[in-house]
Amino acid sequence: MFSSKVVYILRYFDSTGLAESSRILLTAAGVEWTDEHPEWPQEKPNQPHGRMPVLVEKSTDGSPDFVICESSNIERYLARTYGFLPADLKQAALQEQVRDLISDVNGLFTGYVYCQNANDKAMLIAKFESLLDTLIETQTILLKNNGNTGRLFGNSLSYADIVSYGFYINMMINAAQFKPDIANLIKPKLTPELVKLISTAEFDPLTVKHKSKDGSLTAAISA
Amino acid sequence: MLSGSDTVYVLRYFDVIGRAEGCRLLLTAANASWTEEHPEWPAEKANQPFERLPVLVERSNGNEWILCESLTIERYLARVFGFMPTDLKQAALQEQMADQQADLLSAFFAQLTATGDMKPKQIDEFNTLFDRMVKEHGRILSRSSSKQHLFGDHLSYADISLYAFYKLFIVYLKCYQSDIAEIVKSKLTPKIINLILSIEKEPQLAPHFSKCDTMAAIFTAKDF
Repeated sequence: MFSSKVVYILRYFDSTGLAESSRILLTAAGVEWTDEHPEWPQEKPNQPHGRMPVLVEKSTDGSPDFVICESSNIERYLARTYGFLPADLKQAALQEQVRDLISDVNGLFTGYVYCQNANDKAMLIAKFESLLDTLIETQTILLKNNGNTGRLFGNSLSYADIVSYGFYINMMINAAQFKPDIANLIKPKLTPELVKLISTAEFDPLTVKHKSKDGSLTAAISA
Repeated sequence: MLSGSDTVYVLRYFDVIGRAEGCRLLLTAANASWTEEHPEWPAEKANQPFERLPVLVERSNGNEWILCESLTIERYLARVFGFMPTDLKQAALQEQMADQQADLLSAFFAQLTATGDMKPKQIDEFNTLFDRMVKEHGRILSRSSSKQHLFGDHLSYADISLYAFYKLFIVYLKCYQSDIAEIVKSKLTPKIINLILSIEKEPQLAPHFSKCDTMAAIFTAKDF
């Protein structure tokens, strides 16, 4: 399909965090890619926006590296390039809005983590839970309307499936370092449809060989 | 243009600049048929798909289609109306600017609400991010063939998004923090100010300024 070979480097910390969805997309795309864990904060000035993740696309035909950043931007670029986002603008937008809602939920959690005032923390975690409930309800309705196949849209693994999986593995396992009881807060909220989404995304033929630093989310939530 | 001539749009949001200005500017630049709705709030919260605003309603041939999330709405409208490049790499370079701007807005609210010893850290983080972003805007502009546009020689999603961002910080956010406009203005270079004012003068955006002021009067000779 491509006349010259493309290899990718994904720069991020050695954790799932905001990079896992991109890692899963790279695996699902079947392209050659590696993780890079730059010295931090020493390598900050060398990144386009001073932050990570960063995606470096190297071509073997001698053209300059293509470098992009911003986690959801990297995901959308990979998803469009490798066919995990549909070409139809409306269908793609319906998937993208789920990811943007995920960004909002992540933002509320970050606000909670940085807050030092006990009263404000209580208010912020309540806001986080409320929006998480909206996300879960949204995903569950999509899954039900799609025949409860464990897929949010269509008949094959999609961008929306992958970024949803990436959200839950980060928030239920990686985020425990910031809030130890976070898994116990989220687990009871998971609907059966969402549990099926998680295992379907994890064990898809395209993603089954992906090894996550946080292990198997399917195993973690059935424990 | 990919939408039919009988397609009409409704943008639901509060009657403020807020997070909808990019959407408004895109609909205007597209010369789309559109109106704005300001739902009773929080009475109408439960009637929105994500219980939040903005929401875009697209009506065509008796059908209604609904989209949420400000940045998704922006990217969708930009693609429908040809403001987003079809080349995936070029589109990603424009989209990451909008994502960076969203990070800045989050950083603004983080430093606004921070308390104790987090406050100076968050203020420092906001300033560092903002200064880096202005440098990035300058770098992109220096590579552009035109000094009135970020990419190419015509109005693009990146231009519209940048204009909405600076309008947000210079005109709107003072309702949260009275000195933010002056802080942001002091960070801008003459080239960036010139870019902002050039975008504002784009004929496609003229109808927008029948409803609100331009920023031209805000920048005086000493800002350049």
